[in-house]
Amino acid sequence: MVDALHELSAVELGRRLASGALTSRALCEALIARHRTLNDKVGAFTHLDEADVLAQADASDARRKAGRGRGPLEGIPVGIKDNVAVKGQPLTCSSKMLAPLVSPYDSHVAERLRASGAILYGRLNMDEFAMGSSTENSAFRKAFNPWDLGRIPGGSSGGSAAALAAGLVPLALGSDTGGSIRQPASHCGVVGLKPTYGLISRFGLVAFASSLDQIGPMARSVEDCALLLDALASADARDMTCFGPSDRAFTPAGDARKLRIGVPKGFLGKGVAPEVAAAVNAAVEFYRSQGCAVSEVELPSADLAVPTYYVVATAEASSNLGRYDGVRYGHRSAVSGTPVEMMTASRSEGFGPEVKRRILLGTFVLSAGYADAYYVRALRARAKIRAEYLAALSGVDVLLTPTVPTPAFKVGEKAADPLQLYLEDVFTIPANLAGLPAISVPCGKSGRLPVGFHLVGAPLSESKLLAAGRLFEDAHGYAHQQAPL
Amino acid sequence: MAEGFDIDHLAKLARLSLTAEEKALFASQLGQILGHFQTLAQADLPASADDARVVDESALRSDEPGPVLGAEAVTRIAPASRDGQISVPRVVDDES
Repeated sequence: MVDALHELSAVELGRRLASGALTSRALCEALIARHRTLNDKVGAFTHLDEADVLAQADASDARRKAGRGRGPLEGIPVGIKDNVAVKGQPLTCSSKMLAPLVSPYDSHVAERLRASGAILYGRLNMDEFAMGSSTENSAFRKAFNPWDLGRIPGGSSGGSAAALAAGLVPLALGSDTGGSIRQPASHCGVVGLKPTYGLISRFGLVAFASSLDQIGPMARSVEDCALLLDALASADARDMTCFGPSDRAFTPAGDARKLRIGVPKGFLGKGVAPEVAAAVNAAVEFYRSQGCAVSEVELPSADLAVPTYYVVATAEASSNLGRYDGVRYGHRSAVSGTPVEMMTASRSEGFGPEVKRRILLGTFVLSAGYADAYYVRALRARAKIRAEYLAALSGVDVLLTPTVPTPAFKVGEKAADPLQLYLEDVFTIPANLAGLPAISVPCGKSGRLPVGFHLVGAPLSESKLLAAGRLFEDAHGYAHQQAPL
Repeated sequence: MAEGFDIDHLAKLARLSLTAEEKALFASQLGQILGHFQTLAQADLPASADDARVVDESALRSDEPGPVLGAEAVTRIAPASRDGQISVPRVVDDES
Protein backbone atom coordinates (compact mmCIF):
# COMPACT_ATOMS: atom_id res chain seq x y z
CA MET A 1 0.00 0.00 0.00
CA VAL A 2 1.28 3.46 -0.85
CA ASP A 3 1.38 5.81 2.14
CA ALA A 4 -0.69 8.94 1.82
CA LEU A 5 1.96 11.62 1.42
CA HIS A 6 0.03 14.15 3.48
CA GLU A 7 0.31 11.86 6.52
CA LEU A 8 4.08 11.64 6.50
CA SER A 9 6.37 13.66 8.72
CA ALA A 10 8.82 16.13 7.26
CA VAL A 11 11.67 13.92 8.45
CA GLU A 12 10.24 10.91 6.60
CA LEU A 13 9.52 12.99 3.50
CA GLY A 14 13.15 14.14 3.62
CA ARG A 15 14.33 10.52 3.73
CA ARG A 16 12.20 9.53 0.75
CA LEU A 17 13.25 12.57 -1.25
CA ALA A 18 16.91 11.87 -0.48
CA SER A 19 16.60 8.20 -1.48
CA GLY A 20 14.94 9.08 -4.76
CA ALA A 21 11.73 7.25 -3.80
CA LEU A 22 9.85 10.56 -4.02
CA THR A 23 10.15 13.77 -5.98
CA SER A 24 9.26 17.19 -4.71
CA ARG A 25 6.93 17.59 -7.70
CA ALA A 26 4.97 14.42 -6.77
CA LEU A 27 4.75 15.62 -3.16
CA CYS A 28 3.60 19.12 -4.11
CA GLU A 29 1.06 17.78 -6.62
CA ALA A 30 -0.42 15.55 -3.91
CA LEU A 31 -0.65 18.46 -1.46
CA ILE A 32 -2.14 20.76 -4.09
CA ALA A 33 -4.81 18.13 -4.85
CA ARG A 34 -5.63 17.91 -1.14
CA HIS A 35 -5.69 21.70 -0.90
CA ARG A 36 -8.26 21.89 -3.70
CA THR A 37 -10.51 19.47 -1.83
CA LEU A 38 -10.15 20.71 1.73
CA ASN A 39 -9.01 24.32 1.95
CA ASP A 40 -12.48 25.78 1.40
CA LYS A 41 -13.68 23.80 4.42
CA VAL A 42 -10.79 24.68 6.70
CA GLY A 43 -9.84 28.17 5.50
CA ALA A 44 -6.19 27.58 6.38
CA PHE A 45 -4.64 29.25 3.34
CA THR A 46 -5.64 32.58 1.85
CA HIS A 47 -3.43 32.18 -1.23
CA LEU A 48 -1.66 29.36 -3.05
CA ASP A 49 0.17 29.95 -6.33
CA GLU A 50 0.17 26.38 -7.68
CA ALA A 51 2.33 27.16 -10.70
CA ASP A 52 4.96 28.83 -8.53
CA VAL A 53 4.97 25.89 -6.09
CA LEU A 54 5.47 23.40 -8.93
CA ALA A 55 8.24 25.54 -10.43
CA GLN A 56 10.01 25.57 -7.05
CA ALA A 57 9.52 21.79 -6.78
CA ASP A 58 10.98 21.19 -10.25
CA ALA A 59 13.96 23.38 -9.38
CA SER A 60 14.48 21.38 -6.19
CA ASP A 61 14.28 18.05 -8.03
CA ALA A 62 16.77 19.36 -10.60
CA ARG A 63 19.20 20.47 -7.87
CA ARG A 64 18.99 17.10 -6.19
CA LYS A 65 19.49 15.26 -9.46
CA ALA A 66 22.57 17.35 -10.15
CA GLY A 67 23.97 16.53 -6.69
CA ARG A 68 23.43 20.11 -5.48
CA GLY A 69 20.74 19.44 -2.86
CA ARG A 70 20.82 22.20 -0.29
CA GLY A 71 19.91 20.55 2.99
CA PRO A 72 17.42 18.62 5.09
CA LEU A 73 14.45 20.71 3.88
CA GLU A 74 15.26 20.20 0.19
CA GLY A 75 11.98 19.78 -1.67
CA ILE A 76 9.76 19.96 1.44
CA PRO A 77 6.90 22.50 1.44
CA VAL A 78 6.68 25.00 4.30
CA GLY A 79 3.48 27.05 4.68
CA ILE A 80 4.13 30.72 5.45
CA LYS A 81 2.01 32.84 7.76
CA ASP A 82 0.84 35.86 5.83
CA ASN A 83 2.86 38.34 7.90
CA VAL A 84 6.22 36.96 6.75
CA ALA A 85 7.59 38.50 3.56
CA VAL A 86 8.33 36.26 0.57
CA LYS A 87 9.43 38.10 -2.56
CA GLY A 88 6.77 38.06 -5.25
CA GLN A 89 4.04 36.64 -2.98
CA PRO A 90 1.15 38.51 -1.34
CA LEU A 91 1.89 40.00 2.11
CA THR A 92 -1.51 40.92 3.49
CA CYS A 93 -1.50 40.11 7.23
CA SER A 94 -5.11 39.07 6.47
CA SER A 95 -5.95 42.78 6.36
CA LYS A 96 -7.76 44.89 3.79
CA MET A 97 -5.07 47.47 4.53
CA LEU A 98 -2.44 45.32 2.80
CA ALA A 99 -4.70 43.41 0.40
CA PRO A 100 -3.01 44.86 -2.68
CA LEU A 101 0.57 44.30 -1.47
CA VAL A 102 2.99 41.88 -3.14
CA SER A 103 6.24 41.74 -1.20
CA PRO A 104 9.21 43.24 -3.06
CA TYR A 105 11.71 41.40 -0.85
CA ASP A 106 12.40 38.22 1.13
CA SER A 107 12.36 38.09 4.92
CA HIS A 108 15.42 36.60 6.58
CA VAL A 109 13.50 33.39 7.30
CA ALA A 110 12.42 33.16 3.64
CA GLU A 111 16.08 33.46 2.65
CA ARG A 112 16.96 30.74 5.17
CA LEU A 113 14.24 28.44 3.84
CA ARG A 114 15.37 28.96 0.25
CA ALA A 115 18.96 28.24 1.34
CA SER A 116 17.70 25.00 2.92
CA GLY A 117 15.97 23.97 -0.30
CA ALA A 118 12.44 24.28 1.13
CA ILE A 119 9.41 25.04 -1.05
CA LEU A 120 7.80 28.32 0.09
CA TYR A 121 4.25 27.08 -0.03
CA GLY A 122 1.28 29.45 0.10
CA ARG A 123 0.07 32.15 2.44
CA LEU A 124 -1.53 31.07 5.71
CA ASN A 125 -4.59 32.72 7.18
CA MET A 126 -4.28 34.66 10.44
CA ASP A 127 -5.96 37.19 12.66
CA GLU A 128 -5.54 40.61 11.10
CA PHE A 129 -2.01 41.90 11.87
CA ALA A 130 -1.67 38.91 14.27
CA MET A 131 -4.16 40.47 16.68
CA GLY A 132 -6.45 37.77 17.99
CA SER A 133 -6.74 34.25 19.34
CA SER A 134 -9.26 32.69 16.96
CA THR A 135 -8.48 33.69 13.33
CA GLU A 136 -11.98 35.17 13.31
CA ASN A 137 -10.33 38.56 12.80
CA SER A 138 -9.07 37.70 9.32
CA ALA A 139 -10.48 40.26 6.89
CA PHE A 140 -10.74 37.62 4.15
CA ARG A 141 -12.16 34.45 5.62
CA LYS A 142 -12.42 32.61 8.89
CA ALA A 143 -10.29 29.53 9.51
CA PHE A 144 -11.85 26.54 11.27
CA ASN A 145 -10.55 23.85 13.58
CA PRO A 146 -10.11 20.65 11.53
CA TRP A 147 -11.09 18.57 14.58
CA ASP A 148 -14.48 20.32 14.76
CA LEU A 149 -15.33 22.69 11.93
CA GLY A 150 -17.76 24.58 14.18
CA ARG A 151 -14.89 25.68 16.39
CA ILE A 152 -12.00 28.09 16.11
CA PRO A 153 -8.48 26.84 15.35
CA GLY A 154 -6.98 29.43 17.71
CA GLY A 155 -4.88 32.32 16.58
CA SER A 156 -3.33 34.37 15.46
CA SER A 157 -1.43 31.59 13.60
CA GLY A 158 -4.71 29.70 13.20
CA GLY A 159 -4.17 29.07 9.49
CA SER A 160 -0.77 27.49 10.23
CA ALA A 161 -2.15 25.14 12.90
CA ALA A 162 -5.25 24.24 10.87
CA ALA A 163 -3.16 23.50 7.76
CA LEU A 164 -0.98 21.09 9.71
CA ALA A 165 -3.91 19.35 11.41
CA ALA A 166 -5.69 19.00 8.07
CA GLY A 167 -2.62 17.52 6.38
CA LEU A 168 -2.39 20.40 3.90
CA VAL A 169 1.32 20.97 4.55
CA PRO A 170 3.98 19.19 6.67
CA LEU A 171 5.63 22.29 8.16
CA ALA A 172 4.50 25.85 8.80
CA LEU A 173 5.80 29.17 10.05
CA GLY A 174 3.91 31.04 12.72
CA SER A 175 4.63 34.19 14.67
CA ASP A 176 4.07 34.61 18.38
CA THR A 177 3.60 37.88 20.26
CA GLY A 178 1.57 36.58 23.22
CA GLY A 179 0.87 32.95 22.34
CA SER A 180 0.01 33.09 18.65
CA ILE A 181 2.02 29.96 17.81
CA ARG A 182 1.39 27.92 20.95
CA GLN A 183 -2.34 28.56 21.51
CA PRO A 184 -3.45 27.45 18.01
CA ALA A 185 -0.98 24.54 18.17
CA SER A 186 -2.70 23.40 21.36
CA HIS A 187 -6.19 23.80 19.89
CA CYS A 188 -5.29 21.88 16.71
CA GLY A 189 -3.20 19.09 18.24
CA VAL A 190 0.13 20.10 16.73
CA VAL A 191 3.51 21.24 18.08
CA GLY A 192 4.45 24.93 18.14
CA LEU A 193 7.58 26.56 19.49
CA LYS A 194 8.24 30.19 20.31
CA PRO A 195 12.01 30.63 20.40
CA THR A 196 14.06 32.77 22.77
CA TYR A 197 13.61 36.42 21.84
CA GLY A 198 16.34 37.26 19.34
CA LEU A 199 17.06 33.72 18.16
CA ILE A 200 15.30 34.18 14.81
CA SER A 201 15.56 37.38 12.81
CA ARG A 202 12.41 39.50 12.55
CA PHE A 203 13.63 41.09 9.31
CA GLY A 204 10.64 40.81 6.98
CA LEU A 205 8.14 39.98 9.73
CA VAL A 206 5.41 42.63 9.69
CA ALA A 207 5.75 44.30 13.09
CA PHE A 208 2.97 44.07 15.67
CA ALA A 209 4.77 44.53 19.03
CA SER A 210 8.47 44.47 18.30
CA SER A 211 9.76 43.70 21.81
CA LEU A 212 7.53 40.59 21.94
CA ASP A 213 7.27 39.30 18.34
CA GLN A 214 9.09 36.12 17.34
CA ILE A 215 8.80 33.87 14.30
CA GLY A 216 8.72 30.16 15.15
CA PRO A 217 8.23 26.66 13.75
CA MET A 218 5.01 24.62 13.79
CA ALA A 219 4.72 20.94 12.85
CA ARG A 220 2.92 17.70 13.63
CA SER A 221 5.80 16.34 15.73
CA VAL A 222 8.55 17.62 17.98
CA GLU A 223 11.21 16.23 15.66
CA ASP A 224 9.77 18.08 12.66
CA CYS A 225 9.52 21.26 14.74
CA ALA A 226 13.23 20.92 15.60
CA LEU A 227 14.11 20.40 11.95
CA LEU A 228 12.43 23.67 10.97
CA LEU A 229 13.81 25.62 13.95
CA ASP A 230 17.30 24.55 13.03
CA ALA A 231 16.85 25.95 9.53
CA LEU A 232 15.52 29.30 10.78
CA ALA A 233 17.89 30.25 13.60
CA SER A 234 20.86 32.30 12.46
CA ALA A 235 22.39 35.69 13.02
CA ASP A 236 21.14 38.62 10.94
CA ALA A 237 22.53 42.15 11.12
CA ARG A 238 19.25 43.54 9.75
CA ASP A 239 17.47 42.83 13.05
CA MET A 240 19.37 44.62 15.82
CA THR A 241 17.86 42.32 18.48
CA CYS A 242 18.84 39.12 16.65
CA PHE A 243 21.81 37.28 18.09
CA GLY A 244 20.87 33.97 16.46
CA PRO A 245 23.94 31.76 16.68
CA SER A 246 24.69 30.26 13.31
CA ASP A 247 26.80 27.39 14.64
CA ARG A 248 24.29 25.84 17.03
CA ALA A 249 22.08 22.89 16.11
CA PHE A 250 18.66 23.01 17.69
CA THR A 251 17.81 19.37 18.10
CA PRO A 252 16.31 17.52 21.05
CA ALA A 253 19.37 17.14 23.30
CA GLY A 254 20.18 15.75 26.71
CA ASP A 255 18.45 13.09 28.76
CA ALA A 256 14.96 14.42 29.38
CA ARG A 257 14.54 11.95 32.24
CA LYS A 258 16.95 14.06 34.28
CA LEU A 259 15.03 17.31 33.83
CA ARG A 260 13.74 19.19 36.85
CA ILE A 261 10.16 20.24 36.18
CA GLY A 262 8.46 23.09 37.99
CA VAL A 263 4.68 23.30 38.18
CA PRO A 264 3.58 26.84 39.08
CA LYS A 265 1.34 26.95 42.11
CA GLY A 266 -2.30 27.63 41.30
CA PHE A 267 -1.93 27.36 37.51
CA LEU A 268 -4.13 24.27 37.32
CA GLY A 269 -6.90 25.82 39.35
CA LYS A 270 -9.16 28.76 38.60
CA GLY A 271 -10.45 29.01 35.06
CA VAL A 272 -8.87 25.76 33.80
CA ALA A 273 -11.36 23.28 32.35
CA PRO A 274 -11.35 19.96 34.27
CA GLU A 275 -10.46 17.92 31.19
CA VAL A 276 -7.51 20.25 30.46
CA ALA A 277 -6.32 20.01 34.07
CA ALA A 278 -6.64 16.20 33.92
CA ALA A 279 -4.61 15.91 30.70
CA VAL A 280 -1.90 18.24 31.99
CA ASN A 281 -1.76 16.48 35.37
CA ALA A 282 -1.32 13.20 33.51
CA ALA A 283 1.63 14.75 31.64
CA VAL A 284 3.16 15.83 34.97
CA GLU A 285 2.74 12.30 36.30
CA PHE A 286 4.30 10.87 33.15
CA TYR A 287 7.45 12.95 33.66
CA ARG A 288 7.57 11.94 37.32
CA SER A 289 7.28 8.29 36.30
CA GLN A 290 10.23 8.75 33.95
CA GLY A 291 12.44 9.95 36.77
CA CYS A 292 12.08 13.71 36.41
CA ALA A 293 12.10 15.70 39.64
CA VAL A 294 8.80 17.55 39.85
CA SER A 295 8.33 20.42 42.27
CA GLU A 296 5.92 23.26 42.84
CA VAL A 297 7.20 26.77 42.12
CA GLU A 298 5.89 30.22 43.00
CA LEU A 299 5.17 32.87 40.37
CA PRO A 300 3.43 35.46 42.55
CA SER A 301 2.96 38.10 39.84
CA ALA A 302 1.23 35.79 37.38
CA ASP A 303 -1.98 37.82 37.64
CA LEU A 304 -0.16 40.86 36.25
CA ALA A 305 0.82 39.16 32.99
CA VAL A 306 -2.35 39.76 30.95
CA PRO A 307 -2.76 43.48 31.77
CA THR A 308 0.99 44.05 31.40
CA TYR A 309 0.98 42.38 28.01
CA TYR A 310 -2.02 44.25 26.67
CA VAL A 311 -0.54 47.61 27.70
CA VAL A 312 2.91 46.89 26.22
CA ALA A 313 1.65 45.14 23.08
CA THR A 314 -1.00 47.72 22.20
CA ALA A 315 1.39 50.60 22.89
CA GLU A 316 3.93 49.14 20.50
CA ALA A 317 1.21 48.26 17.99
CA SER A 318 -0.19 51.79 17.96
CA SER A 319 3.28 53.03 17.09
CA ASN A 320 4.16 50.28 14.60
CA LEU A 321 0.85 50.58 12.74
CA GLY A 322 1.31 54.32 12.36
CA ARG A 323 3.16 53.50 9.14
CA TYR A 324 -0.08 52.51 7.38
CA ASP A 325 -1.07 55.87 6.02
CA GLY A 326 -2.09 55.13 2.45
CA VAL A 327 1.00 56.88 1.08
CA ARG A 328 3.76 54.39 0.26
CA TYR A 329 1.98 51.01 0.08
CA GLY A 330 -1.25 49.30 1.03
CA HIS A 331 -4.76 50.67 0.84
CA ARG A 332 -5.36 54.30 -0.13
CA SER A 333 -8.87 55.68 0.24
CA ALA A 334 -10.63 57.24 -2.71
CA VAL A 335 -11.62 60.05 -0.35
CA SER A 336 -9.82 63.15 -1.54
CA GLY A 337 -8.92 66.20 0.48
CA THR A 338 -5.92 67.06 2.62
CA PRO A 339 -3.18 64.48 3.26
CA VAL A 340 -4.47 63.98 6.82
CA GLU A 341 -8.02 63.39 5.55
CA MET A 342 -6.68 60.86 3.04
CA MET A 343 -4.62 59.10 5.74
CA THR A 344 -7.50 59.00 8.21
CA ALA A 345 -9.89 57.63 5.59
CA SER A 346 -7.35 55.04 4.41
CA ARG A 347 -6.75 53.77 7.95
CA SER A 348 -10.44 53.75 8.83
CA GLU A 349 -11.33 51.76 5.69
CA GLY A 350 -8.30 49.46 5.85
CA PHE A 351 -8.24 48.31 9.48
CA GLY A 352 -10.77 45.91 11.01
CA PRO A 353 -12.39 46.31 14.45
CA GLU A 354 -9.83 44.45 16.59
CA VAL A 355 -6.94 46.38 15.06
CA LYS A 356 -8.75 49.69 15.63
CA ARG A 357 -9.53 48.66 19.22
CA ARG A 358 -5.88 47.90 19.94
CA ILE A 359 -4.60 51.06 18.22
CA LEU A 360 -6.98 53.13 20.35
CA LEU A 361 -5.94 51.31 23.52
CA GLY A 362 -2.25 51.70 22.70
CA THR A 363 -2.75 55.37 21.88
CA PHE A 364 -4.43 55.88 25.26
CA VAL A 365 -1.77 54.12 27.36
CA LEU A 366 0.93 56.22 25.68
CA SER A 367 -0.94 59.52 25.74
CA ALA A 368 0.15 62.56 27.74
CA GLY A 369 -0.97 62.27 31.34
CA TYR A 370 -1.53 58.48 31.19
CA ALA A 371 1.75 57.00 30.01
CA ASP A 372 3.22 56.89 33.54
CA ALA A 373 0.14 55.24 34.99
CA TYR A 374 -0.15 52.61 32.27
CA TYR A 375 2.83 52.17 29.96
CA VAL A 376 5.65 52.86 32.42
CA ARG A 377 3.98 50.79 35.16
CA ALA A 378 3.55 47.95 32.65
CA LEU A 379 7.28 48.05 31.87
CA ARG A 380 8.02 47.83 35.58
CA ALA A 381 5.59 44.91 35.92
CA ARG A 382 7.29 43.26 32.95
CA ALA A 383 10.64 43.53 34.75
CA LYS A 384 9.09 41.91 37.82
CA ILE A 385 7.54 39.05 35.84
CA ARG A 386 10.81 38.40 34.02
CA ALA A 387 12.75 38.37 37.30
CA GLU A 388 10.28 35.89 38.84
CA TYR A 389 10.48 33.56 35.83
CA LEU A 390 14.28 33.67 35.75
CA ALA A 391 14.39 33.00 39.51
CA ALA A 392 12.02 30.04 39.13
CA LEU A 393 14.12 28.71 36.23
CA SER A 394 17.28 28.86 38.33
CA GLY A 395 15.86 26.00 40.40
CA VAL A 396 14.19 23.92 37.68
CA ASP A 397 14.84 23.28 33.98
CA VAL A 398 11.33 23.84 32.66
CA LEU A 399 7.98 25.14 33.86
CA LEU A 400 4.97 23.03 32.91
CA THR A 401 1.43 24.43 32.60
CA PRO A 402 -1.55 24.03 30.27
CA THR A 403 -1.07 25.97 27.03
CA VAL A 404 -4.65 27.28 27.09
CA PRO A 405 -7.16 27.09 29.97
CA THR A 406 -9.95 25.55 27.87
CA PRO A 407 -10.30 23.58 24.61
CA ALA A 408 -11.20 25.40 21.36
CA PHE A 409 -14.43 27.38 21.68
CA LYS A 410 -17.22 27.67 19.15
CA VAL A 411 -16.91 30.11 16.26
CA GLY A 412 -18.49 33.41 17.34
CA GLU A 413 -18.71 32.42 21.01
CA LYS A 414 -16.33 35.12 22.27
CA ALA A 415 -16.43 37.52 19.33
CA ALA A 416 -18.31 40.21 21.23
CA ASP A 417 -16.16 40.06 24.35
CA PRO A 418 -12.54 41.01 23.64
CA LEU A 419 -11.51 40.81 27.29
CA GLN A 420 -12.55 37.15 27.52
CA LEU A 421 -10.57 36.47 24.37
CA TYR A 422 -7.51 38.20 25.83
CA LEU A 423 -7.64 35.82 28.80
CA GLU A 424 -7.01 32.87 26.42
CA ASP A 425 -3.37 33.94 26.52
CA VAL A 426 -2.91 33.82 30.29
CA PHE A 427 -0.39 30.94 30.25
CA THR A 428 1.49 31.88 27.09
CA ILE A 429 2.02 35.63 27.58
CA PRO A 430 4.73 35.49 30.29
CA ALA A 431 7.23 33.77 27.94
CA ASN A 432 6.91 36.73 25.55
CA LEU A 433 7.20 39.32 28.31
CA ALA A 434 10.32 37.57 29.64
CA GLY A 435 11.79 36.70 26.22
CA LEU A 436 11.89 32.97 27.07
CA PRO A 437 11.52 29.96 24.77
CA ALA A 438 8.32 27.91 25.11
CA ILE A 439 6.68 24.98 23.37
CA SER A 440 3.18 23.53 23.19
CA VAL A 441 2.96 19.74 22.85
CA PRO A 442 -0.28 17.75 22.39
CA CYS A 443 -1.13 15.72 25.49
CA GLY A 444 -4.71 14.54 25.20
CA LYS A 445 -8.22 15.23 24.05
CA SER A 446 -11.37 16.72 25.46
CA GLY A 447 -13.93 14.84 23.41
CA ARG A 448 -12.69 15.35 19.86
CA LEU A 449 -10.74 18.47 20.75
CA PRO A 450 -6.98 18.40 21.29
CA VAL A 451 -5.39 19.66 24.51
CA GLY A 452 -1.75 20.72 24.81
CA PHE A 453 0.70 21.32 27.60
CA HIS A 454 3.20 24.14 27.70
CA LEU A 455 6.85 24.13 28.67
CA VAL A 456 8.86 27.30 29.32
CA GLY A 457 12.63 27.24 29.74
CA ALA A 458 15.55 29.57 30.39
CA PRO A 459 16.94 31.61 27.47
CA LEU A 460 18.37 29.37 24.74
CA SER A 461 17.08 26.15 26.31
CA GLU A 462 15.22 25.15 23.12
CA SER A 463 17.04 21.80 22.97
CA LYS A 464 15.79 20.91 26.46
CA LEU A 465 12.21 21.85 25.55
CA LEU A 466 12.44 19.72 22.42
CA ALA A 467 13.93 16.79 24.35
CA ALA A 468 11.20 16.98 26.98
CA GLY A 469 8.53 17.22 24.28
CA ARG A 470 9.93 14.27 22.40
CA LEU A 471 10.12 12.09 25.51
CA PHE A 472 6.40 12.65 26.01
CA GLU A 473 5.59 12.29 22.34
CA ASP A 474 7.50 9.01 21.97
CA ALA A 475 5.51 7.48 24.80
CA HIS A 476 2.09 8.66 23.60
CA GLY A 477 0.19 8.53 20.36
CA TYR A 478 -0.24 12.22 19.69
CA ALA A 479 2.55 12.86 17.17
CA HIS A 480 1.64 13.08 13.50
CA GLN A 481 -2.06 13.21 14.30
CA GLN A 482 -4.39 14.61 11.67
CA ALA A 483 -8.04 15.44 11.93
CA PRO A 484 -10.43 13.05 10.13
CA LEU A 485 -11.80 15.27 7.37
CA MET B 1 -14.25 53.73 32.50
CA ALA B 2 -10.84 55.20 33.15
CA GLU B 3 -10.84 58.86 34.01
CA GLY B 4 -9.91 61.03 31.04
CA PHE B 5 -10.72 58.40 28.45
CA ASP B 6 -11.99 60.47 25.51
CA ILE B 7 -12.77 58.35 22.46
CA ASP B 8 -12.98 61.34 20.09
CA HIS B 9 -9.57 62.62 21.17
CA LEU B 10 -8.00 59.17 20.88
CA ALA B 11 -9.48 58.59 17.44
CA LYS B 12 -8.03 61.91 16.31
CA LEU B 13 -4.59 61.04 17.72
CA ALA B 14 -4.75 57.61 16.04
CA ARG B 15 -5.91 59.07 12.72
CA LEU B 16 -9.09 56.99 12.76
CA SER B 17 -12.54 58.14 11.79
CA LEU B 18 -15.14 56.20 13.79
CA THR B 19 -18.88 55.89 13.25
CA ALA B 20 -21.21 56.64 16.17
CA GLU B 21 -21.73 52.89 16.63
CA GLU B 22 -17.98 52.21 16.68
CA LYS B 23 -17.43 55.01 19.20
CA ALA B 24 -20.06 53.61 21.56
CA LEU B 25 -18.80 50.03 21.20
CA PHE B 26 -15.10 50.81 21.56
CA ALA B 27 -15.66 53.19 24.49
CA SER B 28 -17.56 50.50 26.34
CA GLN B 29 -15.13 47.68 25.53
CA LEU B 30 -12.02 49.74 26.22
CA GLY B 31 -13.55 50.86 29.52
CA GLN B 32 -13.90 47.19 30.52
CA ILE B 33 -10.37 46.37 29.43
CA LEU B 34 -8.91 49.35 31.29
CA GLY B 35 -10.88 48.23 34.34
CA HIS B 36 -9.03 44.92 34.14
CA PHE B 37 -5.76 46.84 34.00
CA GLN B 38 -6.40 48.26 37.48
CA THR B 39 -4.46 45.31 38.95
CA LEU B 40 -1.40 47.05 37.53
CA ALA B 41 -2.24 50.27 39.37
CA GLN B 42 -2.43 48.41 42.68
CA ALA B 43 0.63 46.18 42.25
CA ASP B 44 3.84 46.54 44.20
CA LEU B 45 6.37 47.07 41.41
CA PRO B 46 10.13 47.63 41.15
CA ALA B 47 11.18 51.26 40.83
CA SER B 48 12.95 50.69 37.53
CA ALA B 49 11.86 49.10 34.29
CA ASP B 50 15.44 48.48 33.17
CA ASP B 51 15.20 44.74 33.77
CA ALA B 52 12.24 44.52 31.38
CA ARG B 53 14.71 44.37 28.50
CA VAL B 54 14.91 40.85 27.13
CA VAL B 55 18.17 41.38 25.27
CA ASP B 56 21.06 43.03 27.07
CA GLU B 57 22.41 44.99 24.18
CA SER B 58 21.19 45.77 20.76
CA ALA B 59 23.76 44.92 18.17
CA LEU B 60 24.42 47.89 15.91
CA ARG B 61 25.63 47.03 12.45
CA SER B 62 28.29 49.12 10.79
CA ASP B 63 26.97 52.33 9.31
CA GLU B 64 27.64 51.53 5.69
CA PRO B 65 25.38 51.80 2.66
CA GLY B 66 23.87 48.48 1.64
CA PRO B 67 21.47 47.26 -1.01
CA VAL B 68 18.09 49.04 -1.07
CA LEU B 69 14.90 48.62 -3.03
CA GLY B 70 15.08 50.60 -6.23
CA ALA B 71 12.60 53.29 -7.24
CA GLU B 72 10.90 50.89 -9.64
CA ALA B 73 10.19 48.32 -6.89
CA VAL B 74 8.99 51.03 -4.52
CA THR B 75 6.65 52.76 -6.95
CA ARG B 76 5.28 49.41 -8.12
CA ILE B 77 3.75 48.82 -4.66
CA ALA B 78 2.72 52.44 -4.07
CA PRO B 79 -1.01 53.25 -4.32
CA ALA B 80 -0.28 56.00 -6.86
CA SER B 81 2.88 57.11 -8.61
CA ARG B 82 3.98 59.34 -11.46
CA ASP B 83 7.36 59.70 -13.19
CA GLY B 84 9.09 57.38 -10.71
CA GLN B 85 7.70 59.27 -7.70
CA ILE B 86 4.94 58.42 -5.23
CA SER B 87 1.98 60.79 -5.68
CA VAL B 88 0.11 62.14 -2.67
CA PRO B 89 -2.59 64.79 -2.18
CA ARG B 90 -1.27 68.34 -2.30
CA VAL B 91 0.58 69.04 0.96
CA VAL B 92 1.42 72.73 0.55
CA ASP B 93 -1.09 75.24 -0.83
CA ASP B 94 -0.08 77.54 -3.66
CA GLU B 95 0.94 80.95 -2.42
CA SER B 96 -1.73 83.49 -3.21
